[in-house]
Amino acid sequence: MTSLATPEKMPMADAALKDGAAAADDGRRLGFALTMPAQVLVLFIAVFPLLMQLYISLTDWSPLDGIGWWQAYELWNGFANYTDLMADTRFWSALGRTALVMLICVPAEFLLGLGLAILFMDDFVGKRVFYSIMLVPMMVVPAVAGYMFFMLFQSGGPVNDILSGVTGMNVSIAWLSDPTTALIAVMIADIWQWTPLMFLILLAGLVGVPEDQVRAATLLGASWWQRFRTIVLPKMKTIIIIALAIRVIENFKIFDTLYIMTGGGPGVATETISVYIYKVTQQDLIWGYVAAIALVILISLSILVSLAISRMNKKKEA
Amino acid sequence: MAGISFRNVTKRYGKTVAVKNASFDIQSGEFFCFFGPPLSGKSTILKLILGLETPDEGEVLIGGKPVNHVAPASRNVAMVFQNLALFPHMTAAQNIRFPLVERKVPEATIKARVDEVAAKLHIAHLLHKPPAQLSGGERQRVAIARALVRDPVAYLMDDPISALDARLREETRVELKRIQRELGQTLIYVTHDQEEAMSVADRMAIMEDGEIRQIGTPVEIYDRPASRYVAQLLGAPMMNLMAVDASGLEAGEGTIILPGQAMPQDVAGVGIRPEDLKVEPWAESHPGRPATVYEVEPLGGYTVVTLDTGGQKLRALMRGQPDVRIESAVALSCNPERIHFFGAAGEALRP
Amino acid sequence: MTAIHLENLVKRFGAFTALKTMDLEIRDGEFMALLGPSGCGKSTTMNMIAGMEGPSEGRILFDGRDMNGVAMGRRGVGFVFQNYAIFTHMNVYDNLAYGLRVRGLPDAEIDSRVKKIADFLQLTPLLKQPSAKLSVNILQRLAIGRSAIVEPAIFLLDEPLSNVDAAFRAVMRTELKHLQRQFRQTMVYVTHDQLEAMTMADRIAVMDHGVLQQVGTPLEVYNNPVNLFVAGFIGSPGMNLLRGSLADSDRGLVVDLGELGLTAPLSPEVAAAARAHAGREVVYGFRPERVSLSVTGEGVPMPVTFVERIGARTIAHLGTGAQRVKAVFDNDVTAESGTTVSVAVEPASVRLFDAATGIAIREA
Repeated sequence: MTSLATPEKMPMADAALKDGAAAADDGRRLGFALTMPAQVLVLFIAVFPLLMQLYISLTDWSPLDGIGWWQAYELWNGFANYTDLMADTRFWSALGRTALVMLICVPAEFLLGLGLAILFMDDFVGKRVFYSIMLVPMMVVPAVAGYMFFMLFQSGGPVNDILSGVTGMNVSIAWLSDPTTALIAVMIADIWQWTPLMFLILLAGLVGVPEDQVRAATLLGASWWQRFRTIVLPKMKTIIIIALAIRVIENFKIFDTLYIMTGGGPGVATETISVYIYKVTQQDLIWGYVAAIALVILISLSILVSLAISRMNKKKEA
Repeated sequence: MAGISFRNVTKRYGKTVAVKNASFDIQSGEFFCFFGPPLSGKSTILKLILGLETPDEGEVLIGGKPVNHVAPASRNVAMVFQNLALFPHMTAAQNIRFPLVERKVPEATIKARVDEVAAKLHIAHLLHKPPAQLSGGERQRVAIARALVRDPVAYLMDDPISALDARLREETRVELKRIQRELGQTLIYVTHDQEEAMSVADRMAIMEDGEIRQIGTPVEIYDRPASRYVAQLLGAPMMNLMAVDASGLEAGEGTIILPGQAMPQDVAGVGIRPEDLKVEPWAESHPGRPATVYEVEPLGGYTVVTLDTGGQKLRALMRGQPDVRIESAVALSCNPERIHFFGAAGEALRP
Repeated sequence: MTAIHLENLVKRFGAFTALKTMDLEIRDGEFMALLGPSGCGKSTTMNMIAGMEGPSEGRILFDGRDMNGVAMGRRGVGFVFQNYAIFTHMNVYDNLAYGLRVRGLPDAEIDSRVKKIADFLQLTPLLKQPSAKLSVNILQRLAIGRSAIVEPAIFLLDEPLSNVDAAFRAVMRTELKHLQRQFRQTMVYVTHDQLEAMTMADRIAVMDHGVLQQVGTPLEVYNNPVNLFVAGFIGSPGMNLLRGSLADSDRGLVVDLGELGLTAPLSPEVAAAARAHAGREVVYGFRPERVSLSVTGEGVPMPVTFVERIGARTIAHLGTGAQRVKAVFDNDVTAESGTTVSVAVEPASVRLFDAATGIAIREA
C-alpha cells in the first residue's frame, strides 16, 4: 500500500493557500476603502443616539422641563437613575416576566418551526397551499394581530366556544382578566405570529444540508433519528444560532401585540420591559430614567447574545 | 516579427511570488503552451501578456516593444475564454463582429473582416445561426473568429477544453491544432493536461511554483527532461524513479542493473519511462534479482504492468496484450541509452 | 460476498425512461464496471442497487433474495460517492467510526476497528484531523474506509476517481484493483472513462441510452465489440470505422471502401462470417494499434494530415474527408505531416459491422 501514501509533493496546494491569502489581503483593503463612507455613516447613526442616551440617563431631564436635551446637564444627577433602577421592583418583575415569556415562546417557536420544516422537506398533497397559509401570520400587522387575539380570547369569544365544544362543558374563562391566563394568551399570540419565521429560516437550513451526506449516513445504517442528530443538526448549527438569536432579541422587545391585547394588565401581570418603558415614558415622562433603563437593557442583551454566539462558535471549532 | 517576449518578469501578490524571473520568446506563428500543475503561474503569465496585471520587475515585450505600461485594450492580443462566452441572443456573425462594432470600425471594414475570418475558419455557412444551433466544435470556431476579427498579434486560450469529456477532448485538441496551423497565427495556450500539451504545442514551457523549468518542443522535453520534476510531469504512466544503491550499480532493489562505466558522475537517482522498461519471464541467467508482477491493467492496444521490486512499485507499458501473470517472477531491463540520470537536487545529468 | 442479479430492470422518471430492460448477473467477488457516456443509465442502475431509488419494473436479487422493499440502510451495501460525501463536520476518526456507532457497538470495539482500518489505509496520523480540509486523495481513502469498516457484502463506487488529479489517478486505479483482488469483494464501479473500466474491471457492462450494449472482460469488449457504439467507445482512440460494401472478387469476399478506392481483403474467418451479408453496406473496423505504416510497402497510400506525439505513443491522423484513419504506434516510427504513407491493416484484427443496424457481423 505504499503508493497510496500522500503524494511526494503537492506544490499546488501550498501555492493555492498563499495565493488565496494574498488575494484576500488585497481584497480586504479595497473593500474597506469602498465601504468607508457607509461605515462612517452607520457609526454616526448608531453611536450618536447611544451617546445621547448615556448623557440623558445621567440627568433628571424631561421634555416638560422646557429646556433642550443638550442643556440637560443643568439637571445633572449622576448615577441616581441607575441606583433607583436597582431598587425598582416593578422593573425587576417586568424583566423577569420578559425572560419567562422568552424562555417559553422561543423554544416553542423553534420546535414547532423545526417540526413543520421537516414536514415540508417531504412532498405531500397541498404542500404549496399550506406553504402560503404558513406565511400569513408573518404578514399580519402586529397591531391587527393584537386585536384579533383580543377578540379571540374574550370570555364569550371563539377560543372558549371551541374549548366548550371539545370538552362538552360550558367553558367561560376570562382569559385576559386573569393574571395567569392573560400571560398564556399573550404567549400563544406570539407563538402564532413568529413560528412561521422560524419555519422559513429552518427550512432554508434543512435544504442546505448536503443530501449526499445524509444518504451516506443512511447507507451506513443510521436511523432517521441518528441521521438527524449526527448529520442534520450539526450542519444546521449556524442557521439555528442565527434563528434563535433573531427571535431572542425580538422576543425580548415584545410589545405591540401584547399591549393591544392586555395593555400590560391585568394590573402589571403581563407587563414586559417594553411595556414598562412605554408606560414610564408616556405616563411619567421621566426621560432620564427611561434612558437609564434602555441602556441597561441594551448592554445586558448584547452581552447575553454575544456570549451565547461566541460559546456556540467555540463549540463548533472544538 | 510580432513575437511576445518576457525579460526577467516577476509578479508578486502580497508575499506570494506568482511568477518568478520568467524569460521566454514566443515566435510569431507559434503554438506555444504553458504547462504545469494548478497555480504554478500559468494563468498569471497570460494576464501579464493581456495587460490585466503589471509586472513588479522585468519587461513584457510585444513585437519587440515594451508594453509594461500599455493598457490591455491597446495591446492587440485576444483572449478566447474557456466557456467561449458567446452571446446566446446573437447570431454567429453578430458575435464575430462585436469587437469591431465596439471599436466603431466602419461598416464596410467590419463586413470585410468578418467574411475574411469566417472563410479562414470555414464557418461562412454558419454565420446566420445562433450559438445554440451550432455544435461544440463550431462554437469553438466562432469564438476563435471573434478573437481574431481584430487581427490580433496573438490569441490566448486558458485551458479551453478541460470541461469536455475525454473522448471529445481528444477530438477537439486535434481540431484546435489544425485551426492554428491553417491560420498561422500565434496561439498562447495554457493547460494542465500533459497529453493535451504534448499533442498541440510546437513548443512548451514547463512551470513549477511560478518558475519556468524548461522550454522546448514536447519531444525534446519528453526525451531529455531537465529535471526529475519535469520528467514526472510528462508521460502517463509517470516515469519510474529509483534511487541508485550504495554500489552505484543497481537500482530498484537490485532488479535493474545499471550500465556502470557509461554513467555520469554523482548520480543519485535514475528514471526509466514505463515504455522503456522491458519485462521478460524470469530466467536464472538474468543478472540481478527478479521482480514480482503486482497488477496487470489492459488498455487494449497497450498493457500497464505494475511490478513490485520488494521496495517499490514500477510500471511498465507494454505493447499489445501480453500474457503476464500476476504474482509471477519477471526479469527487468532497460536499454542503457533510455535511462535518465538525476543528481541529488533532481537535476538531469548526461553521460 | 454476494452475487447480484438484475432481472428485467426498468426505470422511468415520468415520461423519460432512464433504463430500458436491463438484465445483468454480477458474480460473487467480481469487479464489475458499468461504463457509458453521461445519461446512459449507469448511475440509475447503481442507485437502484443501493436502494436509493426503486425500479419501475423488474427485480434486484442479492444472492437470490429480492431486495424490493428492503431499505437502503439494510442492504449491506457500501457506497462511495463521487464527491465522497465525507461528514465535513466530523474529524477523520468520527467519520470512520460512524457506521459502527450507529449500530451501537461498544466503544472499545469501535476503537480497535477504526484503528485497524486507519492503519490499513494509512490514515492513522490523520485520525484527529478535521475532515473538511483534506486533499482528494485522502478523502477517497477515507470514503472507502468509512464504507469498508461495516463490512458490506457489496461495494458500489460512483466515479470515485473523477476528482483525483491525473497524475495520481493511475496509482489509485492500481491500488483499488489490488484491494479488490485481495478481498474478493463484489464491487460495482460506475464510470464514463473507458480507461478506468478497462484497467480495473473483471468484466465491463457497456451501456448507452439506457440499454445494456455488451458485457464481457475488458479484452473481450476491446477485441470483439458487439456493435459500432462499443467499438467506438472502447479504446483510445476508438476503433477506426470505415464505410464500405461487401463485394465478391477473385480474391474472395472483400470490402469495397468506396471513395478510398480500395478493396480490403478479409481473413478466412471474417469472410466466412460475412458471406451471408454479401452485397450489403458494412462498416470496416480495425484498431489504430493494429495498423502498420510504411513508405512504399503493401497497403493503401494515405496522406498524413496530422501527427500527435504523446509521450510513449504517436498518433498519426491519416486521410481526409469522411474516410479518416488513426494509427497508433511507438515513437520509433516516424511519420511526417504532409507526406503520404502506405497503410496496412492486420487482417486478423478486422471487424465487420452491419452498416444499417450497427451490429457486429460474426460467425453464427
